[in-house]
Amino acid sequence: MASHFSGVLQLTDLDDFITPSQECVKPVKVEKKQGKSVAKIHIEDDGSYVQVSLDGAKQKLERAKITLNDCLACSGCITSAESVLITQQSHEELFKVLRSNKTNETEQKIVVVSVSPQSRASLAAHYNLSSSEAGRRLTSFLKGLGVHHVFDTSFSRTFSLLESQREFVERFQRKEQDKKALPMLTSACPGWICYAEKTHGEYILPYISTTRSPQQMMGSLVKDYFAEQQGLSPQQIYHVAVMPCFDKKLEASRSDFYMNKVETREVDCVITSGEVQKMLEEEKVSLSDFEPAAPDTLLSSVCGDEFLSHTGSGSGGYLHHVFAYAAKQLFGEEVKELTYKTLRNKDFQEVSLEKDGVVLLCFASTYGFRNIQNLVQKLKRGKSPYHFVEVMACPSGCLNGGGQIKASTGQNQKELLQKVEELYKAERPLLPEDNTRVAELYQSWLQSVGEERTKELLHTQYHTVEKMTNGLTMKW
Amino acid sequence: MKEALSLVQRLSAHPDSRCWFVSWNPNGTLLASCGGDKAIRIWGREGDSWICKSVLQDGHQRTVRKVAWSPCGNYLASASFDATTCIWKKKNDDFESLTVLEGHENEVKCVTWAPSGNLLATCSRDKSVWVWEVDEEDEYECVTVVNSHTQDVKHVVWHPNQELLASASYDNNICIYKEEDDDWECRATLQGHTSTVWSLCFDATGKRMASCSDDRTVKIWKEYPSESGQDLSWKCVCTLSGYHGRTVYDIDWCRLTGALVTACGDDAVRVFKEDETANPDEPVFSLAAQVTKAHNQDVNCVTWNPKEAGLLASCSDDGEIAIWRFQEED
Repeated sequence: MASHFSGVLQLTDLDDFITPSQECVKPVKVEKKQGKSVAKIHIEDDGSYVQVSLDGAKQKLERAKITLNDCLACSGCITSAESVLITQQSHEELFKVLRSNKTNETEQKIVVVSVSPQSRASLAAHYNLSSSEAGRRLTSFLKGLGVHHVFDTSFSRTFSLLESQREFVERFQRKEQDKKALPMLTSACPGWICYAEKTHGEYILPYISTTRSPQQMMGSLVKDYFAEQQGLSPQQIYHVAVMPCFDKKLEASRSDFYMNKVETREVDCVITSGEVQKMLEEEKVSLSDFEPAAPDTLLSSVCGDEFLSHTGSGSGGYLHHVFAYAAKQLFGEEVKELTYKTLRNKDFQEVSLEKDGVVLLCFASTYGFRNIQNLVQKLKRGKSPYHFVEVMACPSGCLNGGGQIKASTGQNQKELLQKVEELYKAERPLLPEDNTRVAELYQSWLQSVGEERTKELLHTQYHTVEKMTNGLTMKW
Repeated sequence: MKEALSLVQRLSAHPDSRCWFVSWNPNGTLLASCGGDKAIRIWGREGDSWICKSVLQDGHQRTVRKVAWSPCGNYLASASFDATTCIWKKKNDDFESLTVLEGHENEVKCVTWAPSGNLLATCSRDKSVWVWEVDEEDEYECVTVVNSHTQDVKHVVWHPNQELLASASYDNNICIYKEEDDDWECRATLQGHTSTVWSLCFDATGKRMASCSDDRTVKIWKEYPSESGQDLSWKCVCTLSGYHGRTVYDIDWCRLTGALVTACGDDAVRVFKEDETANPDEPVFSLAAQVTKAHNQDVNCVTWNPKEAGLLASCSDDGEIAIWRFQEED
């Protein structure tokens, strides 16, 4: 099976031959139970292991399980992580929760689905709809299945953009004292984060913005703010994110986003745009068959029936928003339009702010593995001229994410991407600072929890993964 | 057999270690060797014999698997199991380490310069093939990373006159790459070998390619215009089997004489000549000369001198280099 992960992650696969069942090198923690020391172990016809004690009593042995978290904390294979994911995060899991809600009256879960604007655009292109329309019809479809709330991650992305802007200005101001304050590298792409943690560790991690990605901002909003609003405990909510990217499943599974006290993840399950299409196909319906529903305004960025987006790249517009904000805050310059200069290739662009021949700000966007490589090497050699870099693992960024709906037979992949880009850009942009709902939440929700908790809710951290060396894997 | 391979000289190049690869500089005056001792040695002719001119050490932490000269002869690139590629610059008779290319996840298996001298290709056990671009200031930037193989990539080689790259892999396939819309793409996958393809080389025109494999065969591939005019089309037009007792590790096509030479795990070096009267779509090669005990152990590499017809070098797991002369008698 071809891997679904972004190219960056596929490259970090450390061995040619590891398949999860055979050669996982992660030691498994075994809960030792008190018992008699002598026993035989039998393998039953169904493959299960049974312990037979001296008196002949049989006891079924537990299977040692590798969780996704074990995989992420290990520098071994990534292929295992993929098959583990399939059992833990899939649209099947969502269906399971919805079915259990129907049959089990007492243990109801409130099901919340947060849809990314990139996924809306991908579905819109596939079903020949506008992006907003695709969003509203998807709301209908999901609610028909028993989903309680359908939110929009453009809303949570507003927090990501605002926090990135503030973080950048703060880093810029301490750049003289702290050599690793700049360049600030964006953190929204989980493929890039995973690669940086596994391959470059301590060298690169300090440069990465601590601001949470839109998906994980939504995790805070749903399991903290929304849960409290609704008088629910976080584990009573099943939170699903619809994303353009397979790597987002890895992000949701990070221990940093697991709420230890209440034993639940902020985002329980991530399904891709492609998996939503699969759900529709399994139900034998088309998105066009549904009447558009009104958007759930509580945690969505909407104006009437229209979903609102952000200016800039299809990967969230980080460079655009941070640049404009920093120009204003740091140099009092009002930047209306950004001029992107294409460098080595279309996935490596530069924007700068000059005054009297002096470069005040120099920003770049680097998408795809080859450009990430050059960026990392420049940083290592101290030759990076940048203050800020929008880094994405996929060539062409998130609109071209690995989880987006593939071109149908006879359709050109490049033309499809262009269509998705057009549909995405057709959503009306809203300036993050003009989002009054978000401003309100900073006032009400975040004021009340205090500064430290706010930091936890809106920011995260990264961890170096130690490399394993295994002499047995040598091949000439 | 009228033709013969005669030994010119044997050099203890990488004692107590393996000698992995040898490479002639473009004007054929110097031979670079590398090995398991992490060192690179440069050999030059003085009078009738070849002597070690310099030793390049401390560039790598592990085995140096391949070395390659730039087309101008002023730079040397070395690929190592320490996951890096080193670029060395020639200064008079000495070499200084210019830069280290990092990025491969693990063992770099091969490095090679494009004929223009502006591009460099590397491949690795991490299954990827990278193309690097060199600017006037000797700065190297990664142009592309292509993941077309499903296993360890053993060898990369450039077309002699086009910007076309070919790679050989543990997945038994050969891939051919071309730049397309500002990125490199695999444009053809050549299937036919039934085990690891260890090496490959183009003929002088670039219209044909020879590959060698763990399946103990050598295959000749020919380029054909494809129907769509779009994709590259290569077909296997000849398979040499029955000659090699073990894995064929390396092959080189002489650009001066058209003779093929192979390095084999059965310790032999063999030279093949083409029957010029045969149908070009069904070429015929026959064994012209062989030395069955060319080395005490596996022969890892063979290479024709680019200027002096018939002169060739081989190297082996026994740490030695052997220089041979292939003589044709009329």
